Amino acid sequence: MRGSLPSMPDMDEVTQSEDRRGGVFSGFGIASAVLGVVAVAALVMIAVMWSGHRASNDERSYQARSMQAAAEWTGVLINMNADNVEGSLQQLRDGTVGELNSGFEASIAPYRDVVKSLHSRTTGQVESVSIEEVHRNLGSQPGEGPTAPVSLAPELSTRTDTVLIVATSVSENAGNKPTTVRWNLRLGISEVDGKPMISRLESVR
Amino acid sequence: MRNLARVLAFDVAAPLASISALLIVGVMLEWPLWWVSVCSVLCLLIVQAAIVNIVLYRRDSVTVGTDDDKPGLRLAVTVIATAALVAAAAVGYHSWIKPDRAFTTDSAEVMRVATEVAEATATFTPADPNSSLERAAALMVPERAESFKAQFGPATADMAKRNLSAEAFTVSAGLEALGPSSASVAVLMRGTQSAPGQDPSSAVLALRVAMSKQEDGWRVVDVAPINSR
Repeated sequence: MRGSLPSMPDMDEVTQSEDRRGGVFSGFGIASAVLGVVAVAALVMIAVMWSGHRASNDERSYQARSMQAAAEWTGVLINMNADNVEGSLQQLRDGTVGELNSGFEASIAPYRDVVKSLHSRTTGQVESVSIEEVHRNLGSQPGEGPTAPVSLAPELSTRTDTVLIVATSVSENAGNKPTTVRWNLRLGISEVDGKPMISRLESVR
Repeated sequence: MRNLARVLAFDVAAPLASISALLIVGVMLEWPLWWVSVCSVLCLLIVQAAIVNIVLYRRDSVTVGTDDDKPGLRLAVTVIATAALVAAAAVGYHSWIKPDRAFTTDSAEVMRVATEVAEATATFTPADPNSSLERAAALMVPERAESFKAQFGPATADMAKRNLSAEAFTVSAGLEALGPSSASVAVLMRGTQSAPGQDPSSAVLALRVAMSKQEDGWRVVDVAPINSR
């Protein structure tokens, strides 16, 4: 019947333990307290590790998305034909951001005219996509400006990665034999609202 | 008040901590079948113990947390919960932190080896025809080093005869893929070739360097031009 009156033994307990408290903590109590501290420390460590692991996972998946975006963008660039030039240019323009976007018309207009007038059929293939880890400025080459990474304004994008793309395209012009173009590109990929956009285009020469 | 704290700590928090530690280990190990079974057995035992605890509380009005006659049982509960959490932390270090750190150090090491081998394969001095060949071969897996020497040995002899020299510097190098035991790196170099009496000609070379992790570090399995067409 005691079970139905839970408050009663509680009071017993309190008085009992009050008695015990008069002395020092029991060895068991101290050991439990120490273990409790260890447990909390382990919990904190797990939390720290989890957030660190999530950050590096996010980093890698973002890099993969950057590479994907760069590869798709380059795929459009190297597959431009007279038939699809307008659509391709629109697509290319939509994928860019910053200076590359605002100066897009001016920089690409001559190219559009060439593609249109030549009636060339170009098929290109991206051969390699990679996240740039090493870049050396071989400044000794004459006629080459510095290739300092032009990043976007901080309020527009928090980070800019560089993606290296190696691609090959074959153009068949009417009458001429096919010409092969090798593209060695460095693309600046900036994160804009969580989406990777092309902010810089540079050819390695 | 004291009893409430003890109930919360030993009867509620400890089993919850143990069960969550077991589940966290599962997430860390990405739920292999053996852990699914171990985890369900252990969780079942903990739930069982909690049910027994509740039943005994209804009978005797005393729980593991509040029973002053059984401090050892309380200690055992704490030991189990702490052990589970510490084990989870250890597993986390092993399956999260170590691979993440390895990824960072591996990526630096892979880039270093790849650029060095790529530059060596495109560098040649007539005065010392085999030096860069040897330098590249030293960083390759033994099987590949043999075939590499056999493949390019005659070419270097020919270049030495014609007194050609070649030099290459990495402009950019990027990581294509990196796994725990294999990697692929793209290296863009500017190569300059010069022959006596001629202007030096320079070109951009794009190489893909495939690597695998050996006991003594990352070694090159294959070097090939990227634009093969």
